[in-house]
Amino acid sequence: MDTATQKKWDKVSRNFDFLTWGDDQRLGPHKRRLFSKMNGAILMLAAGTGNDFRFFPPGHSLIAIDISAKMLERAAGKVKAYDGRIELRQMDACQLEFADNTFDTILTVCTFCSVPKPVLGLRELYRVLKPGGQLLMFEHVRSRIGPVGVFLDLMTLLSRRLGPDLNRDTVGNVLKAGFRIRREENVYLDIVKIIEAVKD
Amino acid sequence: MLFTLGDYLAGMLVGAVTALGVRMLVKPGMDMVIAMLIGMGLGMVVHFVLGLILSPAIGMFEAMIPASLIGMYGGMFFAMRDSMAAGSRSLTAALAVGALFGLIVVAGVHFYDRTLRGAVVDTGE
Repeated sequence: MDTATQKKWDKVSRNFDFLTWGDDQRLGPHKRRLFSKMNGAILMLAAGTGNDFRFFPPGHSLIAIDISAKMLERAAGKVKAYDGRIELRQMDACQLEFADNTFDTILTVCTFCSVPKPVLGLRELYRVLKPGGQLLMFEHVRSRIGPVGVFLDLMTLLSRRLGPDLNRDTVGNVLKAGFRIRREENVYLDIVKIIEAVKD
Repeated sequence: MLFTLGDYLAGMLVGAVTALGVRMLVKPGMDMVIAMLIGMGLGMVVHFVLGLILSPAIGMFEAMIPASLIGMYGGMFFAMRDSMAAGSRSLTAALAVGALFGLIVVAGVHFYDRTLRGAVVDTGE
């Protein structure tokens, strides 16, 4: 387990719901639209404090993991409000404790901005996803708009101490891990994106 | 709708506060390059502080991205005007110009967002 990352997110968990209130309100409908595609055996990475559970379609059974025990403590309260079954487990995205080809769908929400070795983590997802399975991602990435991209590079020097990196090439990392992109959609500028990928 | 209004108000606030800071630091006759560097630095500090404060209410990227453009470019622009004594005659007018600049940048970012939004890749599966 990556204890440095764990401690960082344990610390953030105290104010996480407050800090992300605006994002949850604005981006919730897009997440709901993405999650409507989930099916079969489902894994959610980096569940955080469980803010996104309310956007799941009802009636599913899934496993939600996070590296931070404190985040999961907060998520536990939100599990009860979901009309379905959510099992919470503490786990590192880069060392998944699941057998190969276990899941039909894997969900990530603002996860690969924070996983220290993103390609390694995405290869783990590739491993546990069944052939033909789908990876549904809601992520923020580095902008290709000149001054905005440079601004995100500069902000990352600070933001990575407190939380996520703001300049990741997550679409490129998904491809590097072996996935095929089925759909890529811009949600806010070219920074917040929906990425749908498939394991062929 | 309320968030859109919030975006514009946030942009106007960042613009006005940047213009206020520049007006206090940059005096007519100051070397224009130095004035613009001061304005840019000040604008970046203003955008960072106000962006962090406003992020929980309107969303991190929606607050920070327009604010960064307003702070950086607005700071340079206001400093250039003030160093040449070509800017607004009163503080109220300077703040109004700052707020107007913020409003225009937010409108531009909204327009650009509209043009970029949607599918970039879609295999139709």
